[in-house]
Amino acid sequence: MIWEVFRQKKTGEYHTHCGNVHAPDREMAKLFAQIQHGRRKPTNSLWVVPQEEVGEVDAEETSFGGTTDKSYRWSTAYNIEPPAKEVEESANEQAEAERQRGDS
Amino acid sequence: MNIDEVKERAGPREFNPGDDLPEEYRKAATRMIQFHANSEIMGAYLERPFIRQSPSIDRKLAFSAKVQDEIGHGQFLYRAAESLGIKTREEMLDELANGKGKFLNCFHYPMENWAEIPMIAFFVDGAAMRRQATLKRTSWEPYAHAMDKICFEEGFHVKHGESIMRELATGSKKEQEMLQDAFDEWWPRIIQFFGPSDDKSTHHDFAAEVGLKTMTNDELRNAFLNQYLPKARKYNLEIPDEPRIRENDDGTFEIEEDDLDWDEFFTIAKNDYEPGVGQIEGRANAQEAVEWVRDAIEGDDQPTAGHTPTAAD
Amino acid sequence: MSSTAAAPVEDLDDDQREAVQHLLYRLGDDEFVAAERYTEWQVRAPTLESDLALSNIAQDELGHARLWYDLLQDFGYDEPDLLFERDPETFRHSTMTELPFEEGDWSDAIVRTYLYDVAEDLRLEALEDSSYGPIRDRVGKIQSEEDYHLEHAESWLDRLASDDDGQRRLQEAVDRLFPYALTLFEPTDPDVEARIVDNEYRTEPLDELGEEWLSNVVPKLESYGLDVPISEDGTITSADLPPEIGRDGNHMDDWESLYDDFTQTYRDLGRTEATTLMEDPS
Repeated sequence: MIWEVFRQKKTGEYHTHCGNVHAPDREMAKLFAQIQHGRRKPTNSLWVVPQEEVGEVDAEETSFGGTTDKSYRWSTAYNIEPPAKEVEESANEQAEAERQRGDS
Repeated sequence: MNIDEVKERAGPREFNPGDDLPEEYRKAATRMIQFHANSEIMGAYLERPFIRQSPSIDRKLAFSAKVQDEIGHGQFLYRAAESLGIKTREEMLDELANGKGKFLNCFHYPMENWAEIPMIAFFVDGAAMRRQATLKRTSWEPYAHAMDKICFEEGFHVKHGESIMRELATGSKKEQEMLQDAFDEWWPRIIQFFGPSDDKSTHHDFAAEVGLKTMTNDELRNAFLNQYLPKARKYNLEIPDEPRIRENDDGTFEIEEDDLDWDEFFTIAKNDYEPGVGQIEGRANAQEAVEWVRDAIEGDDQPTAGHTPTAAD
Repeated sequence: MSSTAAAPVEDLDDDQREAVQHLLYRLGDDEFVAAERYTEWQVRAPTLESDLALSNIAQDELGHARLWYDLLQDFGYDEPDLLFERDPETFRHSTMTELPFEEGDWSDAIVRTYLYDVAEDLRLEALEDSSYGPIRDRVGKIQSEEDYHLEHAESWLDRLASDDDGQRRLQEAVDRLFPYALTLFEPTDPDVEARIVDNEYRTEPLDELGEEWLSNVVPKLESYGLDVPISEDGTITSADLPPEIGRDGNHMDDWESLYDDFTQTYRDLGRTEATTLMEDPS
């Protein structure tokens, strides 16, 4: 049985996928994962999830965010200067995300 | 962990569902996050009629997307609260329906026309964003993670609100007058958004000591006024005489608290303010009307809570 | 909004112009009014997750309306002409899209989106080879969003049909909506409709689309144990249709109040223009 492993580097950060382990059950998966994925890289916490329990939908079967123009969802569609600092930070994150969407 | 250890360790994103936290912390965090989540839902409820009443297709799309985002924020936040193991999402939504769940003062007031939109969509959202930016450093990790996602989306909301305000402020005389009327009515409520000044607030001390809150009401109100008073002036809005606001040399502000209606504020805080009661009941009816659907699909699906972290955290 | 430079409006004679416009009004008005109704579910759907999903479908349909209305701008109309200052009796949408939702009637939302999305799939297919280039060019973008809509509707049908209460409510929704759904395949005007097909602006006539639609939705609904209110031999006559079919401008009272609502701010503010936030679609 294959278990997907998610590692969190430090308290407060996100668990991100880092690999998997073969193990007969959850206990063994946790034992194996801490060695295979936690022994070298900085690790604060690991999650193990049965691979068969992971559902996937990918860009081949759907268009994430749609195919028609949805720029109204992005702060870049609104020509407002200068916004409050925290609004600007959000706007910058959105501009970055929009660029990345365009690249993919 | 006992409460002293919590206070000692308290810091940004310090605690997560794997930690054994005292009930006092978990209850305080639940109260705070539940309030926040409820506010997202009631804010969305208040704005939803304006999806239909938007005066252009693009505005309608933006409004629909904004209300959609807010329901999404509710989803993030209820999950962050649920992971404290005190209440399930269903319980929290039921409390919102039966009048036990609390939410922001501004969302208790009805909204009648388009000129009021910037009051919520610019000023209140701007105030909320100010507060939320500081909550990225809250001590409950799932709450901080929800803030990352919410702050990412929220920038569009505030700019959308300002765009509507600019259009009204530079529009016909009638539009400008409607905007000023709305501002006169809403300004004191917006000032009250941050609650009473620190010496009157009851929950602050503990929330600050355990790292849930990172700034005081007064600090947040100051930061808001610093950014948003100039914005109001920029759009030629006349600032109402009351509440009296004194600007200090160091860039801070003092509000004449006696100029604000705190009786109304605390009536609202108890969910007893009449127009707000109608809004709570309206949403409750909607929730009840689709209970049959939840019954039909959720037979064997119990929400996870407590100390088992899940990917949704 | 105004469309591509290559819009071949000038190449059309008066009869052809009328035909293309009727086709675009059918498409745009259906999407617009359907979306208006779908947004009623915002902050009212059964769960937070399902709220977001249906909101998204509403935005998709509204975005499609925007694409079709944009092509009508090539004929010299602007957004106020097309929506906010338009005579409500000139709207061409099917009356199924204007029916209000009863509070809590999620089965209506599911059956309605299902019936509508199957019809939309078929009509988009019949526009893929439209002789009118600007229509043809926009079909693909819309189709790729429709896949989600249909999957969403069918998944919900499946879940609700497996529950006794859900099954009963689905049946009520089918009984109520089905006659109105048939208006999706009614002509705006028989003469103009004939021109739409003769000129291959749409490559299939409405009655064939309607038959395909029936052969699709009837077995599917029956597979969930639902009865479909049509005669044994499956033929549709005008007796099966509701009194108002919408396509000819004849609408129900619900349409009037919906129209009043969505134009209210525009009228109250005395607006003469509709704000655009996005670039011209293409």
